[in-house]
Amino acid sequence: MDMYLASVLTNMTLIAFLALSAYLVLVVGEVSFGQQAFFGIGAYITASATALAGAHIFWGLLAGAIGGASCALLLGLLTIRLSGIYFAISTLCFAELLRFFLLHLRFTQSVDGRIIGPDGPEGFSNIRWIFENHYQVTDFLLLAVTCLIILLIVLFSLERSPIMLGARMVGNDPILAQSQGLNPTRYRLSFITLSGAVAGFGGGLFALFNTHIEPAMFGVMLGIHGLAYAVIGGLGSAVGPLLGVFLDIGLLESIRPLAAYRMIIFGGLVAFLLVFRPEGIISPRLVSRLKSRWRNRHV
Amino acid sequence: MYSLQGIGKSFGGIDVLRDISLTLKPGQRLGITGANGVGKSTLINIATGFLKPDSGHIQLNNKTLTHQPAWAFAQAGIQRTFQNTRFLTTANLGEQLLLAARAPESKRRLTKLIELSGLQASLHLFPDEIPLPMLRKAEVIRGLAASPEVLFLDEPSAGLTTFELDQFGVFLQQNLGQKTALVVVEHRFDFMLMITDSVVEMQLNRGLVKRGADVKT
Amino acid sequence: MDMLQTSIDGLMIGSTYALLGLSFALVFGIMRRINLAFGACLLFGASLAIYLEPILGWGAWGLFVVTIVGVALASAYVERLCFAPHSKRHGAVTAMVASFAVWMQLDEISSQLLPQRTHAFQGIEVPNFWWGEIFVRGDQLLHFVIALVSILVLYLLLYKTRLGLLIRATADSPDTAHLLGARVPWLGFIIFLLAGILGGLAAFMILSADGYVTPLFGLWSTFKGLIAMIIGGVGSLMGAVIGGLILGLVETHAGAVLGAEFRDMVTFGLVFLVLIIRPGGLMGVKIYRTDSLAQERV
Repeated sequence: MDMYLASVLTNMTLIAFLALSAYLVLVVGEVSFGQQAFFGIGAYITASATALAGAHIFWGLLAGAIGGASCALLLGLLTIRLSGIYFAISTLCFAELLRFFLLHLRFTQSVDGRIIGPDGPEGFSNIRWIFENHYQVTDFLLLAVTCLIILLIVLFSLERSPIMLGARMVGNDPILAQSQGLNPTRYRLSFITLSGAVAGFGGGLFALFNTHIEPAMFGVMLGIHGLAYAVIGGLGSAVGPLLGVFLDIGLLESIRPLAAYRMIIFGGLVAFLLVFRPEGIISPRLVSRLKSRWRNRHV
Repeated sequence: MYSLQGIGKSFGGIDVLRDISLTLKPGQRLGITGANGVGKSTLINIATGFLKPDSGHIQLNNKTLTHQPAWAFAQAGIQRTFQNTRFLTTANLGEQLLLAARAPESKRRLTKLIELSGLQASLHLFPDEIPLPMLRKAEVIRGLAASPEVLFLDEPSAGLTTFELDQFGVFLQQNLGQKTALVVVEHRFDFMLMITDSVVEMQLNRGLVKRGADVKT
Repeated sequence: MDMLQTSIDGLMIGSTYALLGLSFALVFGIMRRINLAFGACLLFGASLAIYLEPILGWGAWGLFVVTIVGVALASAYVERLCFAPHSKRHGAVTAMVASFAVWMQLDEISSQLLPQRTHAFQGIEVPNFWWGEIFVRGDQLLHFVIALVSILVLYLLLYKTRLGLLIRATADSPDTAHLLGARVPWLGFIIFLLAGILGGLAAFMILSADGYVTPLFGLWSTFKGLIAMIIGGVGSLMGAVIGGLILGLVETHAGAVLGAEFRDMVTFGLVFLVLIIRPGGLMGVKIYRTDSLAQERV
C-alpha cells in the first residue's frame, strides 16, 4: 500500500476515536469542546507507559484509556449541575487547564542514551515503540483499524441494548427520561466517562503512531473538529462520526488540487448540509426507520 | 398504599397548594377536578416527584419519597402521563415502549397490552406520525407495562372527541388491573364518572373537597 | 504606583474585551445562540482591510471603515447561513457547529487574502502622555473613549427606541412577544449586524494597538469574548461590559505578578470556577435561573 494513503487512513482512524468520543457526549445531550484534552492525556500516559516504564502496548493503551476516563469523570463530577452552553464552556476551560498542565510537565529520563519523557512545551519525543517492534505504517494501520472495529462492536451492542435509547432520551428530554425511571445524572456521568476512555485510548494510539507529541497538538481546534465530525455525520449511529471524518479528511484532503481551498469548500459545504439535514447525515430517525424496515423484511 | 400528607407549595410568595392530603389504596380510582389555576398541575407534578413540595410528606407503602428525585418515584412504581403526551420523536414507538418494560414479566404484559389496544400497526412509526388517540393509549400502556402502584393521568381528554374518549375509557377500565391505583386529573365529568369511583374537587385555598352527591356508588 | 499603572492598563485593554463580550452577550441574550465564527469574522474584516488598503490608500481611517464593514458583512453572512435556518429551540448545537464550519471557511479566506503570518496594522496616531507618574497611551485612551461611547449608543438603542423595546421583549419571552405581534422581522439579522459592528470596532482597536495581525487573532478574540461574557454573566449586557473590564484587570495583574505564561491559565481557571460556583456569573443569575427552570418545567 502507498505510504501516503496508509498514513492518511491511519490519521482518519485515530481522529475517528476523537469523533466517537464527542458523539458519546452528544448522545446524552451535551456539547463538549474538551475531548482533545482526554485525547492528549491518553497520549501522554500511553507514551510514558511504553517509553519510560517499558510496558506492553496493551497495558499502555489501557492506562491511557483509564487516564482519559478518570479526567472525564472528574470533569463530569465538577460540572454536575451544568448543562448547555455552561457545560460546553466549562469543558473548554477544563481542557485548556489540562493542556496547561502538560505544558509544564517535565519528567525526562535517559533511556539507552536517549533523553525521553515529557519536556514542557517541547513535548514528548522519541516514543520508539513503533521502531522497536518494527512496525510499518501499514502494520500500524491494521492495529488501529482493529481497535476501532472492536470499539464499534462494543458501541453497536450498546446501541442494541436499551442503554443507548435511555441515553438518547436523557439527552433529548430529561423530564421524559425521569418519568421512565431513568437517572439522568448517572447516564450523563457514565457517558462522559466512557467518552474520556475512548478519547484516551485514541490518544494513546496517536502517540505511538506520531512518535512525538506536544501540548500544542491538543488545542481546542482538534476537539472542535471531532465535535463537528460527529454532528455532520449524525447522531443516529456510531457510523455517523466515521462518515464525518471520512468526508473531511478522506474526501477533501486527498483531492490535492483542492487542498488550498479545502476549508473554504468544506466549511461552506458543512454549513449548507446542516440546513437540509440539521440532525446530520445519519440522523436518529433515519436509523430508526432503517432498523424497522430491515426487521419487517426479515421477520 | 400511597399518601400525600399536608402538601404545601408556593410560587413567588403565592400559595398554590396549602395542606393537601390524599390517600390511595391499591386499585382505588380517584378523579380530581377543579377550575383552571387552582393548582391541579402543580399537585400532579409534586405527587410524581417533578416538583418538590415546600412542606408535607409523600409516602408509598411506608417508604418516604418526599425528597427523592423524579426518577426514583418512577422506579418505586409511580407512573404518569403528560398533558400533551410525551415521546421522543427520534425513535419509533415500539422501541420506546420496550424501554419502559425491562423485566420479562413487564415485556409479556406489554405485548398483551399492545395486542389489545390495536397498536401493532403503529409500532414502527414515529410518535409524530401517530394520531393522538393512539398516542394516548400508547402512553397509558407505557405507564402500565411495569404494573405500577399508582398511575396519574394528566388531562387525558384533551384533544379527543367524545367517541375517542369513550374508547379510551373502556380500554383503561379493562386493563388497569386490581393492584394499580388510578388518579385522573380532568375537566370532563362524564369521563370521570365512567372510570373513577370517587371524585374530589380542588378549590382555591380550600384543598380537596369531596363531590359525594355526583359520584356513582 | 505599579499596581495603579497595571490597573489602568488593564482597564484600557478591558474596554475592548467588553466590546467583544457585548457582541457575544447580544447574540446569546436575545437568541440563545453561540456564534463560534465570531472571531473569524473579525479576522476576515481585518484581513480585507489590509488587503484593500494599498488599493484604496485611505490610511488608518480606511482600515477603520473597511474593518467594520467587513466584519459586519461576514457576521450577516454567518447569520443567514448558520443561524437563520436553525432558529427552532433545538437548533442551538446545529447552529453552533455550522458556525464552526464557517469559521474554518473565513479563516481560510483570510489566509488567502494575507498569505504571510504577520501583517502590520496601522493605527490612528495619538500622542502618548504622562499623567502624573502614570504613562497613558494616547491610542488606548482613544479606544477606551470609543468603547464607552459605543456602549452608550447600544444602551440608547436598546432602551430608548421602539426597535430596542421589541428586541428586549423578544429576548424576555419569544413566544409572548410573537403572540403580541411584537415580531421583529429580520431580528437575527439585525442582532448579528449590531454584534458585527461592535466586533469590528473592537477588532480595529485591538489590532491597531498591537500594530499587527496574525491568523491566530480569530481564535483569540472568540475566546476573549466568550470569557468576558461568562465572567459577567451569560447573556447579560451589563455583565459583559463588567466581565470584559474584569478580564482585562485579571490578565494584566496575573501577567505582572506571575508572568505572561500563567496569564491564560489564570483566566481559564477563573472562568471554570465561576461556572462551577456561580454559573450565572456576576450579573446573569436571573437568566441562568429562568433557563434552567424552563428546562425543568414539565
